[in-house]
Amino acid sequence: MSKTALVTGASRGIGLETTRRFILNHDDITTVVMFARDSEDFDDNVAALESELPIGRKIVPYRVDVGDRSALKKAVKQAYDEVGNIDILINNAGYTNPVPLQQVKMADFEKTMNVNLYGPFTIVKTLLNRGNRFDLIVNIASTAGINGRSGWLTYSASKAAVINMSQVMREELSIYGTRVVCLSPAAPRPHCAARSRRRRIPARSCSPSTSLR
Amino acid sequence: MYSLILLNGGIGSRTGANQPKQLLKLRGIPILVYALVTADRVEQISQIVVNYPPDWREQIEEVLEAYAISTPVTLVEAGHSRHSSVAAMLPHCTNDDVIIHESARPLVRERDFRNLIESDHKNVSLMSEISFTVAPVDPETAEVTGSLDRARLRNVQLPQKFSKSDLQAAHDRAVEQGVEFTEDATLVADSGYPVHFIDGSDENFKVTTSTDLKMAGFLLRPEEDDDE
Repeated sequence: MSKTALVTGASRGIGLETTRRFILNHDDITTVVMFARDSEDFDDNVAALESELPIGRKIVPYRVDVGDRSALKKAVKQAYDEVGNIDILINNAGYTNPVPLQQVKMADFEKTMNVNLYGPFTIVKTLLNRGNRFDLIVNIASTAGINGRSGWLTYSASKAAVINMSQVMREELSIYGTRVVCLSPAAPRPHCAARSRRRRIPARSCSPSTSLR
Repeated sequence: MYSLILLNGGIGSRTGANQPKQLLKLRGIPILVYALVTADRVEQISQIVVNYPPDWREQIEEVLEAYAISTPVTLVEAGHSRHSSVAAMLPHCTNDDVIIHESARPLVRERDFRNLIESDHKNVSLMSEISFTVAPVDPETAEVTGSLDRARLRNVQLPQKFSKSDLQAAHDRAVEQGVEFTEDATLVADSGYPVHFIDGSDENFKVTTSTDLKMAGFLLRPEEDDDE
C-alpha cells in the first residue's frame, strides 16, 4: 500500500522528525508533503532529507504560512492536485507568543488562532470538500490546552479549541473510517522552549504535566 | 457494475420534524450522508440515482457537494409514492443491474452491499428473521383468523439488487394491472421472476420515528474504549 502524508510545520522540530521517520522508516508511506513557512532551515532540511531518500520515495515541500488562510487553501488544493489523496495528515504547525493578558495584542491572538486552530480546520475541510478520504488525522495540541496557564492565554485558548475540535472531528469523520488523534505532547516543544528562554519565561510554563489521548 | 437507486424522497411526516427526515441530523450529520458515504466506498457502484422531495433539491445538492461524493450522482424528483419513485428513477439507471436502498436506513454497512453483489442470484434482497409472532386478522371484526408460520416469513430490508430488465418488467406489469407495491422484492417475485434473500442485520433498521432516530444515534455512538 502506497500512502501519502501531509505534515505541517515540517521545517523543524516534531514536524521535521515526523517527516523524516515517515519517509525513511515507514514501509507504506511513499510520499510526504511538507508544509512550512519559507526559511533557510526549511531549505537546508529539505535538501538534507532529499539526499538520503530511498528509491521510490519522495518529499514534496510547499512554502506556505498555515496562518495565511487563502494561501493555505491554495497550497492544499495544489498539493491534492499534485499528489492525490492525503491518507495521513499531521497538523503540527504551531505558534505561540506568551504574554500576560493585559499585554495581549488582538492581532497576535488572531494569528495564534489562525495558525493553531483555523489552519488545521481549513486543511481538513478543504480536502474533504474535494473528496479526500483520510485514514488518520493527528492534531498536535498541548497540555496548555487542557489546563490554562498564567501568561499563556492565547496559546492555551487555541489549544483547548484544538482538543475540542479533534473530538468533533473524531466523531464526524468516523463515517469514513478516519481515525482522529489529538496529542498533547508531554515535553516542551523545542521552538516553544527557545521562545520561553528568549522571553525569560521558565520553560516549565510550557511543560505539560499530563497528556491527552 | 451497478446503479444505486437511493430512495430519499420521503417528507418525514412520521418523525414529527418540519423537514424531510433524511436531512435530520443523526449525531450531527444529515441522515442521508450515512448511506451515501457507505455506497461511495463500494467500487462496483458506478452511479447513484438519488431522488428528492419536491422543493428540497437545493438542500440535497448542498449535502452532495459538501461531502464530495465521488460516484456520479443523478438527481430525480420524488414521485407520489415509493413505488412511483422507483419507477421514475429506473430509466435513469445506466447499468444493467441496480441496487435499491433508502437513506432512512443509515446503519447499512459496506459489507451489506458487498454480500448482495457477491450473491450468485440476480435478484436478491436483504431480509431478517422475524423475532415476534405475526397474526392474520380481520380488522373489521377484530377477529384473529388463523396463524402464520414465522419460519416462513421474513422482514424485508434494503438494500436489494435486481436485474434492471426484470425490475422494469415488474413495474410495467404493475402499471398494466393498476397496482402498487410497498417494496420491490415482492413486486418482482409476484411478477414471476426469481427473487432470493440473504440474511441482513437487525441494526440496519429503517429510521421512521423520533424513537428510531434516538436508537440509531445510540448505535452510532463512539465506543468508550475503542482508542485504548
